[in-house]
Amino acid sequence: MIRLENVTKSYSAEVIALRDAGFDIAKGEFVFLVGPSGSGKSTLLRMLNRQERPERGAVWVAGRNIVDMPPGRVPHLRRNIGNIFQDYKLLLEKTVFENVAFAQEVIGRPKHVIKQQVPAVLELVGLAGKEDRLPHQLSGGEQQRVSIARAFVNRPLILLADEPTGNLDPATGEGIMRLLDRINKTGTTVVMATHDQRIVNTMRKRVIQLDRGVIVRDQARGVYE
Amino acid sequence: MLSRLRYTFRETFDSFRRNATLTLAAIITAAISLLGVGLTLLSQKGFDNLLSKWEGGVEMIIFVNAGATEDQLGVIETALGNAPTFIDSFSYCDAQCSLDEAQVVLAGEPGVLELLNETNIPTQFKVIPTEGTDVDFLRLLEGEFITLPNVFDVQFAEDQISLIGQLQNFFGFRLLLLSIFLLLAAVLLIWNTIRTAIFARRREIEVMKLVGATDWFIRIPFMLEGLLHGIIGGVLASGGLWAWNTQWTNGVGEFPPGSGFAALVVTDGYDKTVMLIMLAIGALAGAIGSGIAASRFLDV
Ligand SMILES: Nc1ncnc2c1ncn2[C@@H]1O[C@H](COP(=O)(O)OP(=O)(O)O)[C@@H](O)[C@H]1O
Ligand SMILES: [Mg+2]
Repeated sequence: MIRLENVTKSYSAEVIALRDAGFDIAKGEFVFLVGPSGSGKSTLLRMLNRQERPERGAVWVAGRNIVDMPPGRVPHLRRNIGNIFQDYKLLLEKTVFENVAFAQEVIGRPKHVIKQQVPAVLELVGLAGKEDRLPHQLSGGEQQRVSIARAFVNRPLILLADEPTGNLDPATGEGIMRLLDRINKTGTTVVMATHDQRIVNTMRKRVIQLDRGVIVRDQARGVYE
Repeated sequence: MLSRLRYTFRETFDSFRRNATLTLAAIITAAISLLGVGLTLLSQKGFDNLLSKWEGGVEMIIFVNAGATEDQLGVIETALGNAPTFIDSFSYCDAQCSLDEAQVVLAGEPGVLELLNETNIPTQFKVIPTEGTDVDFLRLLEGEFITLPNVFDVQFAEDQISLIGQLQNFFGFRLLLLSIFLLLAAVLLIWNTIRTAIFARRREIEVMKLVGATDWFIRIPFMLEGLLHGIIGGVLASGGLWAWNTQWTNGVGEFPPGSGFAALVVTDGYDKTVMLIMLAIGALAGAIGSGIAASRFLDV
């Protein structure tokens, strides 16, 4: 599903965010990217949906090398990839329903599809009955669930999560992890950057560890270390 | 498709509302500059009308009373034919031809126009001099023609054209220059408004890109917004032009008869053409302003 080959990415002569990184992630896997702040986790995730392009190497997603993908194809690539973030990136003046519907509207899904799929996905993430709330009327965990609903509503093949529990207390974070685990069980490949040791250690999934842009460990059913 | 249209229009009008002050400034500037362009075109047309009887290189016109006989016309023709060094060609504009011309030249004086008919309108010999002939040589012939029976006036293009032509150039050029600067300001204001609108929505745009909205889907509401600024400016300018032209036409009607400005009105639907031109220029200015802003700041 995802394959990196000798990927190097630098932002300037001094800042080399990724150095000769390579790995293979199969369809349906759940992978943690761990490492200290600044080790290149976010950069790596952004590489997978073509928000960044490496200087060297190849990035294969769903059978295509996306490094040289023409810009016109990128939106179609991204329709297969959901994204969630530490800061949720919700639209503050839109309701829960509208936030999730937005992801379908802007790729031209017809209204009747939206009316049917948005409540279903909100039910899935445990927000049934809160459709009309605004983000500021929700807890942090609930806001993250909205963002997961938005990322998942178009049934992506891959879900990229950049420190999704970073702003949440441990109990709420666990709830989010259970939700991501359920989504993973539907066949969606999940790649999650985190430096939350507890979560990594309890989930026991594959762990890829970065240190200053270099992959120093790639371990099945690993721990944070 | 339908949901896409609904989305596009909703976004565009939301943005109008959110950005009301800048939007208003952009539209007003566009309207004033377009009105300037429109007035330039309209006044040029008025001046052209004023000079229409001199079209085609005519330098001298011999006016003949309505009651002139065939013989008397023949005498004039012969006299004109006798000066081949100065006169390249001449044409006779009969009563019907002169009436048609009066429709243009006297458009601003409907009262006078009403009194004219085939039996009382003077007819005209229009004289085109040979190349290189100075008007002063033609003037030498004036005395010869003015004394012929039933000739009631001899006029020279130079006398009218030099004054009117100067006025035309003076106003036309400066008004147009002013309008073009204002139009540039309008494009910049539209550009700035769209830039602000894009900035106000950077979160939405970020999310749209992440979920795979196409570049054009993101761009079109902004481009449409700028286009609408220009078009609304054009509509306002059209209204202004209409009001201006109506007042001017009425005003000209009250000038003293024969004051020479009766042709300085536009009545043949040219004002509608000018309105279409203003709308087109407005749309173009809007498209340019928003197009540059969208390609520069959307970064999609
Ligand atoms: N847009 C950027 N411009 C310049 N440097 C950046 C940019 N994004 C990240 N970096 C640098 O790249 C390195 C890796 O950053 P990042 O991928 O955000 O790491 P992490 O997510 O593991 O904290 C850091 O040194 C960071 O300062
Ligand atoms: Mg990061």
